[in-house]
Amino acid sequence: MAETQKLVIMVTHGPDEPELASIPFIMAGGALASDVEVVMGFQADACLLMKKGVAETVAAAGYTVLGELLPTIQELGGKLLVCSPCCQRRGLTEADLVDGAEIVAAGRFVAEITSATNTLTY
Amino acid sequence: MAETEIQATVVVDARGLLCPMPIVKTAKAMKELVPGDVLKVMATDRGSVADVPAWAGSTGNELLEWHQEGETFVFLLRKGEGV
Repeated sequence: MAETQKLVIMVTHGPDEPELASIPFIMAGGALASDVEVVMGFQADACLLMKKGVAETVAAAGYTVLGELLPTIQELGGKLLVCSPCCQRRGLTEADLVDGAEIVAAGRFVAEITSATNTLTY
Repeated sequence: MAETEIQATVVVDARGLLCPMPIVKTAKAMKELVPGDVLKVMATDRGSVADVPAWAGSTGNELLEWHQEGETFVFLLRKGEGV
């Protein structure tokens, strides 16, 4: 097998835009199923998707619901990184977030992106 | 090769699931198999017609054949060596 590839998926849309919030998780699931390492980065309103109990409320017609996609990403080992100032602005702390979600700052995002095979931004 | 000539080791029923869950279930099931084993996948998501062959190609598994039975797409995949 070829060397493991790494995909960074930056997400900026939150629960108010369920289709744009769901597609990044679909891409992440497809990548993880294909043995591609996945790091998801949540910025702006996308941080709200990482708040406990929110993913279960996000559903776009015709798409797998986020309440099923998020645990799949967690189970398959996708990393969930959440923007620190974006969380601060929304009053979110790590205790508010789903298991495995980690609050990070720009330096970590840059490190993940520059070491990735590809980056997708939504 | 006709499906009747190929014995599937395991069957994945992904009917009713939407993208990307058919390949997620396929990948999970394939991990439990050994090279040479055959996995049968049943899906109703039309996207799986493109998705399953692409998945097989990118993961080193072999798509032996696929066909449609009513609303269901049936794929036969052989686990690759060293996967």
